[in-house]
Amino acid sequence: MSIKTENYTIQIDSISKKFEVAPLFHNLNFSLKTGQSLAVSGFNGSGKSTFLQIMALLQNPTQGKIIYQKEREVIPLEQIYKKIGFLSPLLNPYEELNSLENIDFILRPFYNKGDKETKIDEFLDRFGLFGYKKTLVKNLSSGTRQKLKIILATINNPPYLFLDEPGTNLDKKGKEDIFSYLDLIKKERIIVIASNDPEEINFCEEELTFGARDN
Amino acid sequence: MPEIIKNLKKDIKIEFRNRSALNLALAFALISTLTISLIIGGVPLEPKKEAIILWLIIFFSAISSLAYTFIREEEKKTILFLRLNFSAESVYFSKLIFNIFFFFIIQIIVAIFYVFFRQLEIQSLNLFILGLLGGGLALASTITILGAMVAKANGQSSLLAVISFPLLLPVLWMAVSSTTKSLTPNPFSSNPVFYNEIYFLLAFSGIMIAGSFIFFKFIWSSQ
Repeated sequence: MSIKTENYTIQIDSISKKFEVAPLFHNLNFSLKTGQSLAVSGFNGSGKSTFLQIMALLQNPTQGKIIYQKEREVIPLEQIYKKIGFLSPLLNPYEELNSLENIDFILRPFYNKGDKETKIDEFLDRFGLFGYKKTLVKNLSSGTRQKLKIILATINNPPYLFLDEPGTNLDKKGKEDIFSYLDLIKKERIIVIASNDPEEINFCEEELTFGARDN
Repeated sequence: MPEIIKNLKKDIKIEFRNRSALNLALAFALISTLTISLIIGGVPLEPKKEAIILWLIIFFSAISSLAYTFIREEEKKTILFLRLNFSAESVYFSKLIFNIFFFFIIQIIVAIFYVFFRQLEIQSLNLFILGLLGGGLALASTITILGAMVAKANGQSSLLAVISFPLLLPVLWMAVSSTTKSLTPNPFSSNPVFYNEIYFLLAFSGIMIAGSFIFFKFIWSSQ
């Protein structure tokens, strides 16, 4: 569970993005290390989600580069994705599989069978999904589906967590469950949240705002 | 290897629960076989014509479903989920294996129906079966990589028709030719030259799989 002995960093080096001629953001430079968290806020269409995807290497910037490091060693590209937990409206679990099957599908094979079941049950229980273990994803409510997406993003203990509006479709209890868990693991991860929700922004130590906030 | 098996099991499970691709392929196969058989009636056709019709039915039954294995991941927004958790190699091979088996199932069903309804007299059963398997392997390996390219192009299916033409033409040509031979009485059927088309189809599949394996990494990681 614990990855606190390993120090990870992400360096954003002169990142710019423009669609056609309109620039979304220009020449961003900063770095984050394990234990730090960043909220990316801004009005709709300001580029929050795009920036998150660029950080997660799921979209190319127009200019600049992203460098992932572990203990000051650059992480090779082919290993980076397995160190990323990503939550976004652009990413869905398999609708024809149930919650358990989706989790089992992405769970890394470093647990024995007993450990694996305990781990899955612990996560399902933590997010109130235990009763939905065998429910097909297509039959889950949008809030329950969002909780499953959080489990899928976090269960492999990725050192980098990119969460695009994690509180979407969640009730107060659901948000509390998620943020109490994120609080628990915060010191061992680099967490980046794209959101305009004040609660989610306040969860992070740093804030990067694109344009003016729309609320 | 565990990743390939995991992804393959997932695709089989989804197809088994959904059955959209299989049902579509089987419906097309059965309807077209029956229609053609009823229209032509009991009139025997030249082996070449029989082979052309058989391969047209097989080809159109399977092509849309095969390409759909990748396009479905893009349409349902599961492709990122796959990309973050599985290596490009494991995704390619699991989709390839799934497509080969899917194609073989469709081929077997179409061939049985066609042979039965058209009362075909197969002169060389070995060549007939090898032609089907070789052609199936070549088509499945070609359509797998084309499906991946189309999925990356946001599922523009018209693109599939354009880019598949030069690659599928020689495969269908050789497949039809080998099936024609298998339906024609030939005193030289024990001569290795008799199996020339099969060698071509196997070599084509090998080259296509090797090339796709290298090329797929770039398609998969393109952002």
